[in-house]
This record gives sequence, C-alpha cells and structure tokens, in this order.
Amino acid sequence: MIVVEGSLKKSLAGWLLATVGILGTFLLIEAYTSAERAANHAYDSQLEAASLTIAEAVQWQDGQPVVEIPAAAFQILATDQQERVFYTLLNASGQQVTGNLDAEMTASLRTTFSNGPVWTFAQNQDSRIRMYGRELKSVGWESTEPVQIWVGHTVSGRDALATELFLATLTRFLTMVVLTAVLSILAIRMALHPVHRLRRTLRRRHADDVSPLDARVPGELYELLETLNALFERQRQGRNTLLRFTADASHQLKTPLAGLQSASELALMSDNPEDWRQALQTVHDSSERTSRLAGQLLSLARLRHGSGESQTRLDLADLLRETVMEWAERDAAQNHDLGLTALPNRPVYILGEPWSLREMISNLIDNALRYTPAGCDVTLSLEPTAKLITLTIEDTGPGVSEDMLDRLHQPFERNGRQDTAGSGLGLAIVDSIARMHNATLLIRSEPSQGLCIDIQFPALPEVA
Amino acid sequence: MIRHLRACLVLLCQLPTVVTAQSPVPLTVEAALDREVVAPLLEAFERAHPDIALTYHDRSTLQVNQRARTANPAPDVVISSAMPWQMARVNEGLSQPLDSKTARNWPAWAKWRNEVFGFTFEPIVTVYRLDLARHMVPPSTHADMHSLLRTHQNLLRGRVTTYSPSASGIGLMLFQQDARYSPRFWDLVAAMGAADVSLENNTQAMLDGLTDGTYWLGYNLLGSYALLWARSHPELIVQIPQDYALVMMRMAFVHRDAPNAEAAKIFMDFLLGADGQRVLASDTPLFSVLPEVTGPYTAQRLRDQIGERLYPIPINASLLAFDDPLRRKLFMKRWSREINILGP
Repeated sequence: MIVVEGSLKKSLAGWLLATVGILGTFLLIEAYTSAERAANHAYDSQLEAASLTIAEAVQWQDGQPVVEIPAAAFQILATDQQERVFYTLLNASGQQVTGNLDAEMTASLRTTFSNGPVWTFAQNQDSRIRMYGRELKSVGWESTEPVQIWVGHTVSGRDALATELFLATLTRFLTMVVLTAVLSILAIRMALHPVHRLRRTLRRRHADDVSPLDARVPGELYELLETLNALFERQRQGRNTLLRFTADASHQLKTPLAGLQSASELALMSDNPEDWRQALQTVHDSSERTSRLAGQLLSLARLRHGSGESQTRLDLADLLRETVMEWAERDAAQNHDLGLTALPNRPVYILGEPWSLREMISNLIDNALRYTPAGCDVTLSLEPTAKLITLTIEDTGPGVSEDMLDRLHQPFERNGRQDTAGSGLGLAIVDSIARMHNATLLIRSEPSQGLCIDIQFPALPEVA
Repeated sequence: MIRHLRACLVLLCQLPTVVTAQSPVPLTVEAALDREVVAPLLEAFERAHPDIALTYHDRSTLQVNQRARTANPAPDVVISSAMPWQMARVNEGLSQPLDSKTARNWPAWAKWRNEVFGFTFEPIVTVYRLDLARHMVPPSTHADMHSLLRTHQNLLRGRVTTYSPSASGIGLMLFQQDARYSPRFWDLVAAMGAADVSLENNTQAMLDGLTDGTYWLGYNLLGSYALLWARSHPELIVQIPQDYALVMMRMAFVHRDAPNAEAAKIFMDFLLGADGQRVLASDTPLFSVLPEVTGPYTAQRLRDQIGERLYPIPINASLLAFDDPLRRKLFMKRWSREINILGP
C-alpha cells in the first residue's frame, strides 16, 4: 500500500520556514540592536558637541563658575528632530550652577568621573532621555575646581532613526526570503524533473517487460533505480521458474494421460473382457498416480504461495512420533524397516504449521520408501541443541551421486530414475516447507551408506 | 411593576441632564495678550463656535507663566509673548502636540515640535513724538538712536523710555536679542543710561508717557500695540528700525493637562487656520503669519515693506538659552554696569 506522507515541496518549505524563522530571529535581533547602536552613535555625537560648546563658555569669576550658555548649544542638543533638551551644570560640591533639571533629577546625576564621561539613559517624568555628563577641569585665577556639565535630550530622534534603519534591514531580509522561496520552488521543480522522467519511462513499459531500466538519472536516484532493476531481475527469475514449473507439470501430467489414452484405445479395440479388465486396472492405477501427482502439484503450488501466517508453537517430537507411527502401519512400509531413534524426553518446541510439517515428514518417509530397495532401513531421529533442532532421516539405500545432491530438491528431479511411481516432487515439497519454517535442508550421501537428509529448525526459546 | 415604573421615572429625571450635556463646552485661555487688541479674533471664534464657552483671561506674562505651571485645573490654552518662558514650558513637557491639518501646514519656522506655535508677527518699533522731530532728525536705525542720544543728551534727558529688563519678561528678551545681534547694543544702553532713561513695565505705560508728553522717544515697543495706539494719537510716530527690526511672536500651546483638550484644539485650529489669521490680518495689528492670507497686517506685507531686515525671534531650542537663570543673571549684571557706566 502506498501511503502519501507529506510532500517534498512541503517539507522543503518547512525547512525553509524553520531556517528563516531561526536565522531570521537572530538576524533581526542583531539588526535591531545594531540599528539602535548606530542611532545612538549618531545622536550621541550631537550631545558631545553641545557639551563641548557649553564647556567653551565656562569661565571662573570670583571663585564661581559662570557660563553664558550659548544658544547654539541648545540648537545642537535639540537636533533637527526638535528634541526636548535638558542640561545642568554642577559645581565641585554638587550644587547646580544653572540648568533646567529639577532637584531630584540633578541629585540622581551627581557622580564622580573617574572613568571619563558618562552616558546614561534616564527617566525624566514621562519621557526617556539620554544624558551625557563630563567633568571640566577649568582653570581660573582663583580656583581650579572641576565643573560637571550634563546635557541630554529626549530620544524620539534615536527611536525614529533606529526604526528606519531596522525597517530597511527588515525589508532587505524579507526580500531575500521571498527570493529564496521562489528559487527553492524552482530548484525543487528542477530537482524533481528526473523523477518525473523516470515515472514516464516506467509508465510506458509493458506489463511483462522485466528487462533492466535504461535511464539517465542523478546520483541520488541511482540506488532507487538499482533496486528497481534488482526487483525486475527477481521478477524475471520468478517468472522463469513458474514457466519451467508449468512446463514440467504439463509434461508430467501428459505421460500418465497418454498411458490412459493408449490403454483405453487398446481396450476399445479388443473384444476380450479380460483385456478390458486389464485395461481398466491400468487406467485405475494410472489415474491414481495422476491424481496423486495432481495433489502434490497442488500442495507444492500452495506451499510456494504460503505465507506461514498460521504457524503455532508445537512439539516437533510429538508430531514426528505420531507421523512415523502412522506410516509404520501402512502397507507401503511393510517392505522396509521404518524406525525412530529415541526421542528426547522433553517436548521440542518450534514455530510451525502442523499440517505442513506432517506433510513434510510424510514426504521424506514416502521418498525414502519409494527410492530404496525393499529391505532397507529407514531411520528418523530428532536432535535438539541450544540453537538448532535437527530432524534427520537416513536410509541404507544406494544414495545419489555427488553432482545430483544440489538438484535433488528441485521439482520433477528423480535422480534420473524412471523406475518408481514417484513424481519427483517430494523433496521439492520438503524444501518448500523447510523454507516456510526458516529451516535448512541438508542432503548428504555416501554411495555405500545411503542418503541422509537433515532439516535444521531454529530452536524456539523455552517458554517458562 | 413598581420597579419598572421607578425605572421610567429615573429615566425621565435624567432627560434634562442629557439636554444640558449639549450646552457649551467650557474653554479657558490664559493669555498675555491685551483683550482690546485681540477682541475681533475672540468674537470671530465665538461666532464660528457657539458651542464653546470661551473664558479669556488677559494677564501679564509672569502670571501666565505661573498659571501654566501651577494652576489646578490647568488652563486649556496658554498664550504668551514671553517666548523663552513659553519655550521652557513646552520643553518641560507641559504642552501636548497638535495633530491637525492646520498645524501641519503651519510654517516650520513658526512652530516647535508641533506643540507650540507662533501665531502673530509683531515688529518691535521705536515710537517718537512729533516734538522730537522738530528738534532733530528722527532716528530710523539703532545707530541713529545711539548718535541722537549722544548729540542731544541734554535735550533728551528724562525723555527716553524703554522696557525694564528686570520687571518685564518681554523687555529682557528683546534686550537679550539686541545684545545677541550687535555688541554695540551696550553702547546704546550706556547712552540711554546717560540720558536718564525711564524703565517701564509694558508698552502701554510707555505709550501713555509718550502721549502725555513725558517722553519724546520710546525704544523697543511692541509694534502691535503702538500701531493701534498711533491711529488715535497722531502726535506719535511709529518707526520700524531700518537696520534691523526684531519681530516678536506670541506663542500658543494646548496645555498637557487641559481639561477641555478637544475645545482647546478647535481654538488652536481656528487661531492657526485661514479664518483666524484673516481676522488677525485685517482687524488686529498682530500681523498674520500665513503667507497666503491678505490684509493690512500680514508678515508678508511687512516683509515687502521692510525687506530682509526683519529678524523674527526664532522659535527653536536656542530660545531656552534666554531662560537660563545664570545667563539672565549675567545679563542683568552687565545691564546694571552698562546703564550706569557714563553716569547720569
């Protein structure tokens, strides 16, 4: 199932927004503070100039500082923004020589200038003002006491300038954001173009076309394409297997059907009831084999599409014992010595499907009985270890050659023998069931010692 | 039911109150501007705004300044000719900005912070009696005045009058401006001192003295009052100095704590608007500031007559320097020294 989880555009937009948000916040905070700094710098120099103008006018007369406040000083202080202006001159003992600040404000300004001039923001009634204070070491005939000169003004000009500077930065920033967004959208379109091209290529393909893709893609898409090609390869193999299986199955079914046809034709040509009877017997035997073959094909097909969903926890020892006991009673087993070695005295649990496991064991026994001469031993055993549970079946038959071992589990493989009534599907079914249970099929054979098949199941941890 | 009835009764009782709420809004104006001079303007305002009950207090600059600072409730509008004081009050934050089209259109040189507005354009003049013209060439410049005082010292002794800088805010301001423009002003002060100058508290007192013949020559009178007076007193000649003529502007602002700020703003708009300025230009000698207003008394016409020699006292922060207590003290000290320097 395909679940659409957001879109690339949305996630890119999200990232862009987050970047712009975080970066923007920092940028704008920085812009705001630097705008304020710049505005303060610009206006502070006005304060300095005004203070200097006043300092120029300070003189000493009769032991007192006197100053004819220059009108220009106020013009400078007020700036072109027409700020309200404040000033005060304090003598060495902190008393106001002249000024327009109230006593409370004046008292709060009294300070020592050990570290040079003082810049400060102050609250004067309802308005914020910027004050600049410096100490003037004036020289007079009688006295050389210092004078403090404080000048200040309201901050509307600074605020206006800072706002103007900040807004300019903000405008630039927003323009950049918009540009980035537009470019990002274009970039996404460009980046997604190969994907669109790939989609068109895939759409144009025929349903049964499993050849590898031939496309030009950017590096980021290479992996996807490679995976797609691997998938096509697997599909191709699966299809080939299916085709081979179908061809083999048809071939297998054709032989008994042909037998049926010829037997019935012979019978039809004869007037002898004895021949009819014989033909009927042949037809009966042949249809029984065909029926069994069909059954096996069906179960193989079913196993190959099985999903293993109905697996439960079961005791393999118990199941093995039951199945072997059942087989021991059958007619087919009467010519062989079918045996079971001592089973572990505690349950051997695996995850499995009882039906298919039983089918597997049956097939193993059936195979052994069918492909070994009468009188041979067929022995089953079960050996659990910590990690693996090994189910073994061995016989004392002729075994198979080395190069056949790997092909034994493929369908319709009968070790080159046509002398038995087997279909060649037994080990293929066993193999399928083993795969379904995550078990490993191991086939060993030494010509003098017969065939030995191990099926190793992963052990299920003991449940308390 | 009874409650409903009572509610109805209460409603009925309240009706007359609703009616009285539409009665005129009070408006208090504290002004250092003679009522007789400004009367046409006030009448025009009352005609234009019958819904506002205007109370106009004509006081001295000192009183107006005092009331602006301490009166409770505060006046709505403060008008004064003591420009440094007005500026100091605005700088203190006692005013509120006027954000109207009229205020925005007002010439930038005649306003500060959109809070205080110079709405008149009154030249500072010299007034002399015809008696003086019979004995000498009347002075037309400050230098003329100086030489006249030196050459006719005996004749003019006791017959010269001017403002007292210690008793009048306007007088002090005008002398400070004079001193600012020329250091030779102090020679003039010394010469006036030698002529035993009489210091008066206001223009009207000087005009009275000139009319009754006590004085022959008055220096630094308010042109607005002098022009109006001279119309009915042909023996007085009003001379606008030809070298430089100071121009004083009455400054008006809406008080920060104005109880009737809305009415105050309507008044200011009228004062600064075309209607008010037209009245100033045609019916008062206060001179309209607006260049587009026409009439016998406009700044524009005065400029056309006197030319570039008009020196309006600038309405900006530099005015504050003239309110600086130390600077005032130093000025007065110098004044006392200079006025006695030549001896009586």
